[in-house]
Amino acid sequence: MSDTNEKEQTSTHKIGIYLWIWGLLFVLSFFSYMVDWYQFQGMLRWSLILFFMFLKAGLIMAFFMHLYWERYALVNVLLWPMTAIACFIFLMVAEFEYTVFTRLFYFVVGGQ
Amino acid sequence: MSDDYENKTGYQAQSSETISSGGSGRSGTASDIDYVRPAENAEQDLYHGHSFITKWVFCQDAKVIGVQYFLLATFTGVIGLILSWLMRLQLGFPGAAGFMTAEHYYQFVTMHGMIMVVYFLTALFLGGFGNYLIPLMVGARDMVFPYLNMVSFWMFFIAVGVLLASFFVPGGPTGAGWTLYPPQTILEGTPGSGWGILLMCISLILFVAGFTMGGLNYLITILQARTRGMTLMRMPLTVWGIFTATVLAMLAFPALLVGALMMTLDKVLATSFFMPTILKAGEVLEYGGGSPILFQHLFWFFGHPEVYIVALPAFGIVSDLISVHSRKNIFGYRMMVWAIVVIGALSFFVWAHHMYVSGMNPWFGFFFATTTLIIAIPTAMKVYNWILTLWRGNIRLNVVMLWCLGFIVTFVNGGITGIFLGNVTVDVPLSDTYFVVAHFHMVMGIAPLMVIMGAVYHWFPLVSGRFLNETLGKWHFWITFLGAYSIYFPMHYLGFIGVPRRYFEMYDSPYVTSAVGMNEFISMAAFIVGAAQFILIYNIIKTLKTGKPAGHNPWQANSLEWLTPSVPPEHGNWGEKLPVVHRWPYDFSVPGAKEDFITQTTPPSEVIETEVEKT
Amino acid sequence: MSDPKIEGFELKPGFKGMAKDTGSDQTMFKGVHWGKAMMWIFLLSDTFIFSCFLISYMKGRGSTLIDWPNPSEVFGLHVGGVDVPLLLIAIMTFVLITSSGTMALAVKYGYEKNRKMCGWLILATAIGGLTFVGMQAFEWSKLISEGVRPWENPFGAPQFGSFFFMITGFHGTHVTFGVIFLFIYAYKTFKGHYDEGKRGWFTTMKGDYVEIEILGLYWHFVDLVWVFIFAFFYLW
Repeated sequence: MSDTNEKEQTSTHKIGIYLWIWGLLFVLSFFSYMVDWYQFQGMLRWSLILFFMFLKAGLIMAFFMHLYWERYALVNVLLWPMTAIACFIFLMVAEFEYTVFTRLFYFVVGGQ
Repeated sequence: MSDDYENKTGYQAQSSETISSGGSGRSGTASDIDYVRPAENAEQDLYHGHSFITKWVFCQDAKVIGVQYFLLATFTGVIGLILSWLMRLQLGFPGAAGFMTAEHYYQFVTMHGMIMVVYFLTALFLGGFGNYLIPLMVGARDMVFPYLNMVSFWMFFIAVGVLLASFFVPGGPTGAGWTLYPPQTILEGTPGSGWGILLMCISLILFVAGFTMGGLNYLITILQARTRGMTLMRMPLTVWGIFTATVLAMLAFPALLVGALMMTLDKVLATSFFMPTILKAGEVLEYGGGSPILFQHLFWFFGHPEVYIVALPAFGIVSDLISVHSRKNIFGYRMMVWAIVVIGALSFFVWAHHMYVSGMNPWFGFFFATTTLIIAIPTAMKVYNWILTLWRGNIRLNVVMLWCLGFIVTFVNGGITGIFLGNVTVDVPLSDTYFVVAHFHMVMGIAPLMVIMGAVYHWFPLVSGRFLNETLGKWHFWITFLGAYSIYFPMHYLGFIGVPRRYFEMYDSPYVTSAVGMNEFISMAAFIVGAAQFILIYNIIKTLKTGKPAGHNPWQANSLEWLTPSVPPEHGNWGEKLPVVHRWPYDFSVPGAKEDFITQTTPPSEVIETEVEKT
Repeated sequence: MSDPKIEGFELKPGFKGMAKDTGSDQTMFKGVHWGKAMMWIFLLSDTFIFSCFLISYMKGRGSTLIDWPNPSEVFGLHVGGVDVPLLLIAIMTFVLITSSGTMALAVKYGYEKNRKMCGWLILATAIGGLTFVGMQAFEWSKLISEGVRPWENPFGAPQFGSFFFMITGFHGTHVTFGVIFLFIYAYKTFKGHYDEGKRGWFTTMKGDYVEIEILGLYWHFVDLVWVFIFAFFYLW
């Protein structure tokens, strides 16, 4: 908990940085909308979507949520659990591919 | 400014030097080596209750909330116990209970499992022991958000209410097994597929919401509200166990919440998240295209950490009990802490070992068997360290110690069968047999329960100011310990001969002949063990008024909860001044010390003559 | 925010500092308000909820054999005789990012004790959030009028409707709660509760402008989730 003399220490950041990030977010959102506008397909679409998504998420977390200025103790506590999510995602990708395989194999190829 | 924690040398060498020579420029007085830097946190303002309602019902004192959690969880646990009696009655003596149909049996199995795992063990360890012990052990006045803490309990109360209400709705409670696997959970033909499953899902969602409020409190209290001198590596292992378990709960319950929500939508709105195309009596149901195995993944992404949510607090508490009652420091404290943390982290990467026979991607078996067996390493470390703590200790063979010894034996037993089940090839023939039932009851039923019992006998003098009766306690222990083995040891054999679990009756299957006698024996043991638990309830009621007064620190323990100015501790815990911590809580039998324990608040200058180590 | 001053404790930067903070007594997150730490941990838990939703969506969409509808057409608008793909969603995204920016500025002015500016910015954020919820309601009613239901979908796989209503509904609930709290906090700011340290309704803690940052964290998180939903649900 912050006590009184600490509050005065809490310096704020220049307004410029917020406006910059704000602008960047608009531009990046516009770009990711353009991905759909120009109907890119396949891996190009995927990588562009993910690239803009992570960039936007990173900017919001780093500057709007001040994570860039936070101490590493907090940042690490927040980011490490994401490995569990990453593991879950990778395994579920393998899982839906297998589900599709079994469905095709038993209901389309083998069945009927 | 030389920081107190940066000194790597022992107190003795460093302090005697400081005192004789005047040390590092500061005056060489006792207060110099006792220096602990000033408080970072402002004093916490507390809301003190004025009336009966604000003092005992809607109370914001973590200790009262802890007792409330304890009582409600115990009440729910007794219901779970009665359900298990009914199940054993049917299994041991088929048809003896006239009203028992197969539907009832499945409902009892389901409710027994869900109640015991979530509403009894989780609530008891984290809600009960967590609330009571965390602020006391880390030296805080209360939880950091007392109001939220109170709401957390009442959410739990409502969740239990909704759960128990499902016994009285049309169709009764759900009978899909505690894992609630779709599609059969919400299809007609499964008992309680209407109201029962709906109330179960709502109750779980409420429980998760309530628990999140409590869990945030536990975590922030431990991370941000420790007293002066209390580093993370000076916390009792109890707090470490509860802390890690709470982290797991905060990250694992979301999966349960999502699963329960999607199941509710499948039931209420006829969405098809988990429901594949189903033919029923030649007709295609309205569902189609969903993925039942997704629910299993979500459920076990929650379900496996849940096992450790129950086990880790037990690990922590038992470490403290063993250390206090064998008058020795815990062997390998840091190793114990890291083992708890590593087990917690790994528990998120092992969930599908519950699904080896589910029809998931066959390659997963390799991944999950590997990660599962890796967990055996930190777990085995912990068992070795408990035994090495006992080794050449000055053991007090009282009831608390008996429960701890019972825990170690039971846990090793259940853990070893876990190695069987963690291997895919061994698991395939054993899954869905009584071997699995025996395994998980040993390792996450009986073992944590033994710790709870030990903890009740250990901390009852703190909560009430009086000892529990030792003689009754020994009866309670021996009946429970021997009885539990009589129940679950034969079950391993039943599993090996292939008796499937969750069957209402075995009818004339070939293995019945050898299983009948054994089932009767198990049931008799289960009745006796269940009845023996009422010894504890009787003991508590009796000793509340007439027990031997305990006074301050009756076990000669070191940790902060025994060092409050008044016993039982009052709201605000510490009276005028917060305690200042100078050491870990395990300085027992230090050579040269006047007594065989040095409390955490004893300043270094008072124990200069002893061989105490810097912690 | 930037490093605080702590009596008797020297803050080191980077991983050294992390080790030292973690090994120190009293607090692990140095100078972090209890409420802010709580909000961060809560958001971590909430991240897991949304991750589970999106993972379920991936699994569900990946394993259905019926074709998934093309979101760019389903969510398109017919404006002035031209079909514009994803128009509404794009506007919603811009609205939410706008409100995120005003929130960030509100936090900044809060710490500078600029009561008026802070209050107006919070109000602007709340109105942005309200606009977002309104547009979501419009989007929902448009889809419903086209026959999309949680249990069926004329354009393809029925799971499309299920996941769409569930995930955007859950996100919309978050936004709605955020808007309610934004209005409450705007009121409290204009009243000067944070200047005079008035205690909150359900807590004994004194009011402080850090509460604006805590609320800001929540609001940015809602925006963050939308970034992921936008990418995975509308663009995929």
